[in-house]
Amino acid sequence: MALLSMRRIRKSFGGTVANDDISIDVEAGEIRALLGENGAGKTTLMNILYGLYEADSGELFWKGRELGAHSPRESIAAGLGMVHQHFMLVPTLTVSQNVTLGLKSAGHPFPDRRKLDAKLAALSRLYGLDAPPAAKVASLSLGEQQRVEILKLLYRGAELLILDEPTAVLTPREAESFLAVLKRLKAEGHAVILITHRIAEVLQAADAITVLRGGRKVAELAAAEASPEELSRLMIGREVAKAGRARHGAASPSATTRTAASPAALRLDSVRLSERGREKLSGISLEVHGGEILGIAGIDGNGQRELAECVLGLRRSGSGSVRFGGSSVEGKGVAARARLGLAYVPDDRHRDGLVLDMDLAENFALKSLDRPGLRGRLFLNRSRLAAAAAEAIRDYGIKASGPSSGARLLSGGNQQKLILARELAGSPSIVVVSQPTRGLDVGAAEFVRERLIERRDAGAAILLISADLDEILALSDRIAVMHRGRLSESLANDEGLDLTRLGLLMAGEGAETPA
Amino acid sequence: MRALGLALSYAASGLVLLAAAAGAIAAAGCDPAAAAAGFARGAFGSVYGLSEVVVRATPLALAGLGVALGFRAGFFNIGSEGQIYLGAAGATATALLFPGLPPWALAPLCLLAGAAAGGAWAAVPGLLKARFGLSEAINTIMFNYIAINLVGILVRTLLKDPANPLPMSPRLPEASFLPVIVPGTRLHAGFLLALASAAFVAVLIGWTKAGFRMRAVGLAPRAAAACGISVAGNVLLASTLSGALAGLAGASEIAGVHHRLLEGISPGFGYLAIIVALLGRNRPAGVVASALGIAALQVGSTAMQRSAGVPTSIAWIIMGLLVALILARPTLFRSLIGAEGGKR
Repeated sequence: MALLSMRRIRKSFGGTVANDDISIDVEAGEIRALLGENGAGKTTLMNILYGLYEADSGELFWKGRELGAHSPRESIAAGLGMVHQHFMLVPTLTVSQNVTLGLKSAGHPFPDRRKLDAKLAALSRLYGLDAPPAAKVASLSLGEQQRVEILKLLYRGAELLILDEPTAVLTPREAESFLAVLKRLKAEGHAVILITHRIAEVLQAADAITVLRGGRKVAELAAAEASPEELSRLMIGREVAKAGRARHGAASPSATTRTAASPAALRLDSVRLSERGREKLSGISLEVHGGEILGIAGIDGNGQRELAECVLGLRRSGSGSVRFGGSSVEGKGVAARARLGLAYVPDDRHRDGLVLDMDLAENFALKSLDRPGLRGRLFLNRSRLAAAAAEAIRDYGIKASGPSSGARLLSGGNQQKLILARELAGSPSIVVVSQPTRGLDVGAAEFVRERLIERRDAGAAILLISADLDEILALSDRIAVMHRGRLSESLANDEGLDLTRLGLLMAGEGAETPA
Repeated sequence: MRALGLALSYAASGLVLLAAAAGAIAAAGCDPAAAAAGFARGAFGSVYGLSEVVVRATPLALAGLGVALGFRAGFFNIGSEGQIYLGAAGATATALLFPGLPPWALAPLCLLAGAAAGGAWAAVPGLLKARFGLSEAINTIMFNYIAINLVGILVRTLLKDPANPLPMSPRLPEASFLPVIVPGTRLHAGFLLALASAAFVAVLIGWTKAGFRMRAVGLAPRAAAACGISVAGNVLLASTLSGALAGLAGASEIAGVHHRLLEGISPGFGYLAIIVALLGRNRPAGVVASALGIAALQVGSTAMQRSAGVPTSIAWIIMGLLVALILARPTLFRSLIGAEGGKR
């Protein structure tokens, strides 16, 4: 009898199906990897198991007994534990205080801390989870904090541990010792579910692998029988990618016939950026020419936002150079770079793209205040602004009652159209777009993509950052992959594109030479 | 239906306020009816009473406009009080330095000096926020203590009247006085200045590019930055203008009412200005109206003390309750008005 058995789990949010008829079994002493891209449904499935969401349908058996609607508290009591991607620790408390937080230890409310520390130390030794009980969590590295999270679960008697992208925050050495911990857990009879998109790790640590794609289970296989190429193919899904690419065709003639002598519209040379002691960008070099789209694929949080904001001028790179059309933009701010023809469509439209409490015309004007044509050095030409916004509403098919309707009241798709209208208004020569269709319905997404293609064909250099591989494949002329602050070489997106190789690069395997 | 609910929610707030005031007056052992009559007579019963309300409202409106302007740009200026004190000191020093100037030059110069002093004082926390991201709410409060005690030192040293044992400056030359606009009262031209400032702020915020940028920075700093609008620059500009308006309030008190610098030149105008801005919803016309309302409350309660023996502390109790009710109204009366979201 399996320790855990999830049967035909189904869950949808609004119209999107996040989990479609997924079944999964986990035995005691087994390490089960749940492999898939962003948005494949891994985290949703685990949140259902842990009790954060309730499934629309399906059954859940724990040690042979049905577990109906349950809360995380009940999950913990039953012996299920989850380590979230973002740790849930109180930084000002010590390791031992964090571990025992919320428990009524012997002597409550004045527990014998020394006894607890000794118990904790014994547990640490047993599993090789080295963490000083008296140290403040704030003083620990991320790897140590993760060990505290795991200790916390073990201290509470967890038999099944769910680990969400556990190595995402670890250095390579920490990741290695983490894999050793996994082996110890297995030896002590614990079951582990590993949520991850890293193929190498899966092959090293897991016993069995379940691959999810687009909310469905596409494969279930033993780790011993799996190859990285096969897993990569299963994760990405070749047929989906092919279908996407067929829609927009190949690069425009101008891109393919450009001469090597003309300088790239956008060029980065070994750009480095460190923030709070962590290296976010480790020497990024790339070139985008007029009339082409360079797609940056990769899982979120590998430095894409930092890259975009270094080009934008919002962050200053530590070293390296950014050039527009051959001349350095070093020392130039956001406004100066925009005047040189740079447009930016940010990934977080609510925070970085729009002023939600302003109306549509004002949002449209955010970037065009200094443009010639809006006469008057001091005063706003309100009627001119309203006319410009009305034109954008018409041209981009923005559904709004008029230029004076609030940006907050627009739907996500219409908000994105508004940003696009504003950014593309000055016929920019360089366009940086980040996750341009995230959260949009199919129609709006298609509209946004068509505008980008249109801009490219008009000669703009477009840097497209997206975690949606289908989108990258459908739009890009060349593709590079970002992983842990590094950018891979770029691959031409043509018939000869090796999808398996692309998948491996996304998982952090492969040569890392400049694009 | 919605409008009716809205009106009802305001009416209910007013009733709660009236009941609390009556209860407090009764608890103090006075007759609420006599107190109410005294209040009305004092604040609205005579030209003099009305003029006193406007005299009171002048510094409240000026400083309130400053607070409102700061709020709109995301600069939470809690330091009006200190900026008023420095504005008053600046105006006094200017009047004492240039006693020979004619009235058409000296009075405006004093106002200008007050605005400059207040603006410079507010620019320091503004710079700390813009450059280092330090909380302006805390820094401006701390700057109040520094400014108030700085003025305390000034009236004992540099600006002290040698002929007077008390800590105060000499009486200023008459050329620095703001003219009285209603003979027989204390109502001075400072109120016209407040009205002009309200118009200035309204135009600045609503109709100029600079105001547009400040509003964008106040509402969404990251989006503004991504569009090439300087967050630091606009925070600095807003803090300076905000402080300049408070400084103007201090200068107008010196040139219009006191004609010399004293300790305690502002009985908390700077703190009341925050309430004024809040009540006026950070809109210039609203700020002027709420300044007049708060001033009437204060003048009326002073009269209430004279006629019915009610302690003026009642006015402060009512103001505290008023602010709490205004903040709580949308949640307190949710069933009446539904969710009042989005619009600001």
